[in-house]
Amino acid sequence: MKIAQDLRAGNVILVGTEPMVILKAEYSRSGRNGSVVKMKMKNLLTESAKETVYSADDKFEQIMLDRKEVNYSYFADPMYVFMDGEYNQYEIEAESMGDSINYIEDNMPCEVVFYNEKAISVELPNTIVREVIYTEPSVRGDTSGKVMKPAKISTGFELQVAAFVEIGDKIEIDTRTNEFKKRA
Amino acid sequence: MKRASRPQTCDIFCNVIDNYGDIGVCWRLARQLANEHGLAVRLWVDDLGSLAKLCPGADATLQSQHRRGVEVCLWSKNFPEVQPAELVIEAFACKLPQGYIEAMAAQQQNPVWVNLEYLSAEDWVEGCHKLPSPHPSLTLTKYFFFPGFTPKTGGLLLERDLFARRDAFLSDTLQQQQAFWRSIGMAMPSAETLKISLFAYENAALESLFDAWANGTQPVLCLVPEGRILPQAGLYFDDDAPRAGGTYTRGNLQVRVLPFIEQERYDELLWACDVNFVRGEDSFVRAQWAGRPFIWQIYPQHDAVHLKKLQAFLMLYSEQLSRSASQAVEGFWQAWNPDGTTSHSTKPSNDNGQVAGYSTGSGQAWLSFVAARGELDSHAQHWARLQAENNLALNLLDFFQEIGTMRAN
Repeated sequence: MKIAQDLRAGNVILVGTEPMVILKAEYSRSGRNGSVVKMKMKNLLTESAKETVYSADDKFEQIMLDRKEVNYSYFADPMYVFMDGEYNQYEIEAESMGDSINYIEDNMPCEVVFYNEKAISVELPNTIVREVIYTEPSVRGDTSGKVMKPAKISTGFELQVAAFVEIGDKIEIDTRTNEFKKRA
Repeated sequence: MKRASRPQTCDIFCNVIDNYGDIGVCWRLARQLANEHGLAVRLWVDDLGSLAKLCPGADATLQSQHRRGVEVCLWSKNFPEVQPAELVIEAFACKLPQGYIEAMAAQQQNPVWVNLEYLSAEDWVEGCHKLPSPHPSLTLTKYFFFPGFTPKTGGLLLERDLFARRDAFLSDTLQQQQAFWRSIGMAMPSAETLKISLFAYENAALESLFDAWANGTQPVLCLVPEGRILPQAGLYFDDDAPRAGGTYTRGNLQVRVLPFIEQERYDELLWACDVNFVRGEDSFVRAQWAGRPFIWQIYPQHDAVHLKKLQAFLMLYSEQLSRSASQAVEGFWQAWNPDGTTSHSTKPSNDNGQVAGYSTGSGQAWLSFVAARGELDSHAQHWARLQAENNLALNLLDFFQEIGTMRAN
């Protein structure tokens, strides 16, 4: 069993009797110590997608799927194409890429996930390192990491980073939450 | 079987965690659904002692009792087999008894099951409001319902006659207002006295604020209902055991300790005062209906998440204020909700009731706040009228109908 808080794009869970692939998961803190996870998920049998919300500690049965190590190859709208070591290609729809789109780069190693022999999603490492290509100048004197500012990485994705981060810095990002972790 | 457009029955589940916020909201909602909309409401509470504080006359030892039109039931570990209601409300994501969930799933027509979430002004709330939450293993769907301050949220709890009662109170100086002051053992204060209610968690900013009031030019009467800030208020006057009825004076500040106040009387207190300090969720909403300037002490959360929520509300609330008034509100509210890194711990106090951190900015910030009172008064009234357009109980009932229609199609 896996709790909602730990689910991420690409995971497949059973809801009732139906296999659902998570397309997007957004975590928010509600009141007191409660949290909610808003999830966009797609039914793997009917292909229909829907938005849902769960308490962060709701439990799900996760379907363990076949995976294969691949590298990102190219984008052929609307499909992202990956290739394994034997030059087999696997296509994944942009909609099923989830937040991976924020970080995908040419030749990037990742895992393609299969359901009934069909590639349905891609999973990235939990932590990746990316270079900041633009951010406002550092705030002098603030090294606490609590003051945040926006920064852009090479894919164009923007996230909040600590105020001391500068252009050209390499940063660690948690791909599950899209959050800045530290300067690499 | 066709679902009625309005539910006839409603079960509300309340797990009391601490303070009176959970039960305060549930008790208010239960009475409103029962008395204004005619639903047969069962309120399941796991701590009847807390309810008894809000509802004098409630017996904390009874399994079941009827109070103010609501059937109040003890929610114990051995949950009885009961027929689920048509509308089921779990408050603040409390976990319903497994047997009850299975009974809901076994109904020919599933109840409309709603998780009533915490109140927040953050943007993400609109995106989650009314979203389904299909049960991971049963053929049953719960829906998340978020109270809030914008039309795309579930709105706020507001009784049908509240504004009429408030206005009658405010225009009836001779009888209702004097009766209120008599009921707390005081004569009606003079017009030049600034009347303030103070309902708060422990707060490091209190001392500086009391200093400002004591040393100010205007007489201040501060009414403090029994609660978590009382020991601190007592210590300011060198009394380590302050009690209801106690009166303390320093300079231009007079503090009067009130007994714990039930919900309806608390509204009168808010109406009778010029400025109200409130905390958590229920009193925060009531202060808005009072149409008076207020200061919110938000429930502290780990990692200072509450400060984001405070800021989100401030942004909405201050939108139509002048720049100076907006700065005054923001400055004082932030001084009253100190950042954990500088002056306040995440939990308001340790086990000994001692307040962590310190704050000296509240007294200074108060001066700007009180200087903006004229504008804040009219803004508070405007805000109350605006928020009244989005009534949570009505929205819940409309949502019930919406789900019924969706299922029928």
